[in-house]
Amino acid sequence: MGETLDARWFNPDRLNLLVGLFLFIAFLAINIRRAKGSRDGLFIRPLAGLKALDEAIGRATEMGRPVLFVPGIGDMSEVGTLAAITISSRVARRVADLGCDLRIPCYDPVVTALIDGTTREAYREANRADSFRPGSVYYVSATQFAYVASVTGTMLRDRPATNIFMGAFYAESLFLAETGNLTGAIQIAGCDQVTQLPFFVCSCDYTLLGEELYAASAYLGREPVQLATIAAQDWAKALAAGTVVLAIILSALGHPWLGRLLQTS
Amino acid sequence: MRLGPIVVTFLTGATLIAIFFIPNRAAQQTQSVILEWADIVYAFALLLGSISLWLSHQKKLQQRAEGWIYSAVTLTALALVTLLGVTQGVGGETIVGKIYDSVNAPLASTMFSLLAFFVASAAFRAFRARNVEATLLLLTAIVMMVGRVSIGEFVWKGFPPLTEWLLDVPNLAAKRAVAIGVGLGAISTALKIILGIDRSYLGRS
Repeated sequence: MGETLDARWFNPDRLNLLVGLFLFIAFLAINIRRAKGSRDGLFIRPLAGLKALDEAIGRATEMGRPVLFVPGIGDMSEVGTLAAITISSRVARRVADLGCDLRIPCYDPVVTALIDGTTREAYREANRADSFRPGSVYYVSATQFAYVASVTGTMLRDRPATNIFMGAFYAESLFLAETGNLTGAIQIAGCDQVTQLPFFVCSCDYTLLGEELYAASAYLGREPVQLATIAAQDWAKALAAGTVVLAIILSALGHPWLGRLLQTS
Repeated sequence: MRLGPIVVTFLTGATLIAIFFIPNRAAQQTQSVILEWADIVYAFALLLGSISLWLSHQKKLQQRAEGWIYSAVTLTALALVTLLGVTQGVGGETIVGKIYDSVNAPLASTMFSLLAFFVASAAFRAFRARNVEATLLLLTAIVMMVGRVSIGEFVWKGFPPLTEWLLDVPNLAAKRAVAIGVGLGAISTALKIILGIDRSYLGRS
């Protein structure tokens, strides 16, 4: 029997997601307007890990040792990797300003090409294009434990003063963080994988938990429009929490319609 | 300003979001084509990656930097496996497949087995009862460890159900809270990039 061809132009089972998306875009527009109209800018809760970033890069500069940025083992389809790329650009800018050495070992070849480009551009923006060392962003291997062996080897041989782990991490998280801990480096991690967060919390000085990783780029940039996206995210989170609580109460009272409305196919 | 990449990002992102809501066959085929393009781009990037790897190790070898012998091994392996793969093919019964099964897989397993020692050292540091939170963590860990082994039930029948409760209620609640935040954060990040609000991936603030 042949497959039935779907000729519909809209999947009604995903209407709730579409409404959610439009609500989020509306929150974004409102907050961008607020941020542009505000003199002092929007207040964003300080993130200890990001406040420590300057200090950690400064320490590496004083010690004459490199900063190691590890962008995880995700590919470009993972939002954590996108966040890692934007953060690496900000870190490269600070490193270029202070004039210390930066090393970025990559797992994915596409990510390598992108980070190489953003890092070069960050050095150029800092008017330090000549300080960029070709080969400081390098491809290692797309095999998980070969990558671990190379990065931990770099930690033990080159003794970076600061290790920054940002992106999508899996079983390799504890290897990297524990080895970095043994070398005495300041370690700042950010990860969106719930199962790996405890490992980073145990072994790193500062850890960005889940969504804080996505907020990091905007936080480091401090541009009002970027900060507005964090505020929009918080509004959406408040709405999600409120809706979940309301759905639970309604279901308990025998009205499960809101809970059903939230289900997706 | 580099308008080209921003326009391409917007069009690709907006198209893929729209296709998510359109079950029509033509739309789904378009999605498949876009994903095939991504695979082709990836193949070229893999070549760039291999060149980057080669140059980085070649430099170490030429400068006789510390650990240059490992660079020599890496370059030899890269050249040999590439040559064998191109001439003999890849897969389970080929030479490349056998090299993978007999060298790469055992090495990866060996690395993975070291994880137990890293877990022990991290746990030792985390479970030191320095404050109220660390003490709670230590007590929870003890309950979990005792409750998940056979002897736990003999010590006290309540251990296994207690571990189940810990996993299903407080642990799951925290995990879901983080997951909701991550989900919203992912949407926010994707929209920032698609709408051109965040351009730092182009190296621009």
